Amino acid sequence: MRKDLRLELRGGESLVALVALSLLILVVMVFALDPAGGVRDAATAAGALWVALILAGVIGSSRVLLAERDNGCIRALIASPLDRGALYWAKLTAAFIFMAIAEAAAIVLMVLFFNLDFDWRLMRMAPVIALGALGFAALATLLAAITGRVRAGDMLLPLLAIPLFVPALIAGVKASGAALAGAPFAAIAQWLKILVAFDVLFVSAGSLLFEYVIGEE
Amino acid sequence: MTDAAPIAARGLFKSFGAAPVLRGVDLTVAAGFAALIIGRNGAGKSTLLRILAGLWSPDDGAALLFGEPSAALPPAARRRVGLVTHQSFLYPNLTARENLEFFCALYGVAGAPEQIARWLERVGLAVAADDRVRGFSRGMEQRLTLARALIHRPAALLMDEPFAALDAEGVAMAAALIGEALAGGCAIVLTAHQPLAIAKLEFALYEIVRGRLVARPADGGAEPRGAIDPRQPAA
Repeated sequence: MRKDLRLELRGGESLVALVALSLLILVVMVFALDPAGGVRDAATAAGALWVALILAGVIGSSRVLLAERDNGCIRALIASPLDRGALYWAKLTAAFIFMAIAEAAAIVLMVLFFNLDFDWRLMRMAPVIALGALGFAALATLLAAITGRVRAGDMLLPLLAIPLFVPALIAGVKASGAALAGAPFAAIAQWLKILVAFDVLFVSAGSLLFEYVIGEE
Repeated sequence: MTDAAPIAARGLFKSFGAAPVLRGVDLTVAAGFAALIIGRNGAGKSTLLRILAGLWSPDDGAALLFGEPSAALPPAARRRVGLVTHQSFLYPNLTARENLEFFCALYGVAGAPEQIARWLERVGLAVAADDRVRGFSRGMEQRLTLARALIHRPAALLMDEPFAALDAEGVAMAAALIGEALAGGCAIVLTAHQPLAIAKLEFALYEIVRGRLVARPADGGAEPRGAIDPRQPAA
């Protein structure tokens, strides 16, 4: 994982691209939806933020494995004493951190563009975003291992990951919107439970299946 | 020779679609011995090596490392295998030293900083130790690849054209490293397009002909044939 983070910091272009794309998404949403303020702003802001999160997840998860495939290093990892389950966790963690950094930037932009405040409501939203990032990173890392072995795999990854993530996405958007709007915790909790359930599903599936899909054939 | 030999293949078959590449390959390489496998482009040398390394599965037969199927090798056994292929397995945005640090961590090499410094010196890359691999020439990458494959002192080495891209000094360096590994009891399988005439290295020579492994000379096996005269090609 340390190697992955070092590579990403040295590369740098992914994070810059993600921040720029997050900015673009948020700007487009602000001008297209013309939010009037208050609760409506919170729901719209939450939706825009999750769009940026999904984009970060697709790019981040594909990149942490792309670095291994482009120079043949995946073969070295497969042939090494490294447990393939541990490889999954390392890639998942790197993708999660990558998404978290991109999301932090997106949250700042969201607050600015949607006329929100840096207050306690953001703190309530943070666990929702973290759970969403974890679930999507877990799912996308597994799917990236599969799609990396086929032609045009980069195009396949979002086509596979996003539909599978839709239930969790809905729960995440609802929970984030409720948190930003200052709704009671009970209103957030019902969506959080769904998000946690999908996180458990995606992480379990990834940790069990990754070693079978990461090989050459 | 038994299946507990470090490197063994039993009746390997491999096809890509309708095209058979390997047709019943048998090979045994004991500790301290080396097998050189030659053949034309597309003969199946790299395919054989990848199957022996456990990266690909054969259609039939068995590839064994230390008596275990290479595709299902336990971590302790994988720690004893070194691999050199056409791809360097090096991360372009890491330095030479960082690449070796990573592989030392993967293979649990004790005293990694000292070992890394020593190996970079051995392969002639001490000056470029903190340069990113992205800026290396192909020959420099190959030197670092050899260091990567040998730094954990493997008991079995699988090397696909290990002398590729090396200058005369690099070839001599690589031959010395391979000779030391042999002297230390490592079993080695190397591939090349044609017989190698490397002073002081002893190989059992095989050729892949129409998917079959043919021993040269005809009595086969993996015992050394005596020192190869560098003035003459191997028989």
